[in-house]
Amino acid sequence: MDVGEAARLNALVVAVGRAQDRAAFQALFDHFAPRVKGYLMRLGAGNAVAEDLAQDAMLTLWRKASLFDPAKASASTWMFTIARNLRIDAIRRERRPELDPNEPALLPEAERGADESLDWAQAEDRLHAALAELPREQAEIIHLSFLAEKPHSLIATELGLPLGTVKSRIRLAMARLRQALGDES
Amino acid sequence: MSIAHHPGDELLLSYASGAANEAVALLVASHATFCAQCRARVQRAEATGGRVLTDMAPVPMSAQAYESLLARLDEPARAVVQAAHLQSDVPAPLQAYIGTDYGALPWRHVGGGISHLPIRTRGGMRARLIRAEPGSGVYTHTHKGEEWTLVLTGSYTDKTGHYAAGDVQSTTPEISHQPTADAGPVCINLAVTDAPLVFRGLLPKLVAKFHGF
Repeated sequence: MDVGEAARLNALVVAVGRAQDRAAFQALFDHFAPRVKGYLMRLGAGNAVAEDLAQDAMLTLWRKASLFDPAKASASTWMFTIARNLRIDAIRRERRPELDPNEPALLPEAERGADESLDWAQAEDRLHAALAELPREQAEIIHLSFLAEKPHSLIATELGLPLGTVKSRIRLAMARLRQALGDES
Repeated sequence: MSIAHHPGDELLLSYASGAANEAVALLVASHATFCAQCRARVQRAEATGGRVLTDMAPVPMSAQAYESLLARLDEPARAVVQAAHLQSDVPAPLQAYIGTDYGALPWRHVGGGISHLPIRTRGGMRARLIRAEPGSGVYTHTHKGEEWTLVLTGSYTDKTGHYAAGDVQSTTPEISHQPTADAGPVCINLAVTDAPLVFRGLLPKLVAKFHGF
């Protein structure tokens, strides 16, 4: 996805949040609902359950769109967190202890300065480019973390690797991604 | 507040991806209330999830899916979650499990200045609070699996270092340790284990069995 496409999706969510814009909502539905459904099915949900949850995810987008802040996350990232949480709640029947970004205790100690003024769509684009350039063995483990829903110890067993190797690949990968964003340099 | 000991990237990633079970998620979310750096790291990892969603092969929705969703847009939303009590020293994610006052909890005394309280979570790991009076120590123990400890109040020391409020200690099966609470405020920790602790000595073993460690 290029920066233009990411910005288009962000603007659509903002339009839903500001004016309950149904044309924008339909465009978001066309883009996200089949992907959320695919994500849920990849993680083991059947067709009917995945379809219902994808609908719930879109309903959550509709209701919470006014809380969406493109300075903090792209529409895709925001939608991912919605689908992730619905799945944990509806399929695993676990609670999801969440960070509350609006809580004063959660505000960053140091102002994020440069980060704040940064166009987040561009930052995510850099992150995604860095993701595409990760060595294959690192990318594989990051990918499995999202789409296998297994503890890293089990991923290690299945790949025939020591747990320490899995952890160090994750750390190397995450460090590269942060480097691409100019974080914590 | 400066945090010296952070959860590893693999823990932050499992929280961001949703793979972490409830007990681990509770520990990471609670740590993040102390730690701006890990909040930012979780956000970066979630952005990776955004990429995974973008790359997902779309599975078509049924023909009537959008129409039936439109009919639900005007339904009233369910009540929102109650806001956290900011004046409490209990991290917001933990308040949903234990309330806002450590002093009001039904602590179970183990002896030697130590008490504990299991926290009900689903998904396979065990979460508990451990409360240690200044100077008191937990018996020497090892772990069958991994253990993570988040310091909520006070501080403790073991042979690997010093851990204060907000710090997370990760221990693995190889490590045998005897944490001891420092002088000062009572030390309360959130401990998450994926297997029972293994105590050395018969009496600690019996006490541990009795308390379900």
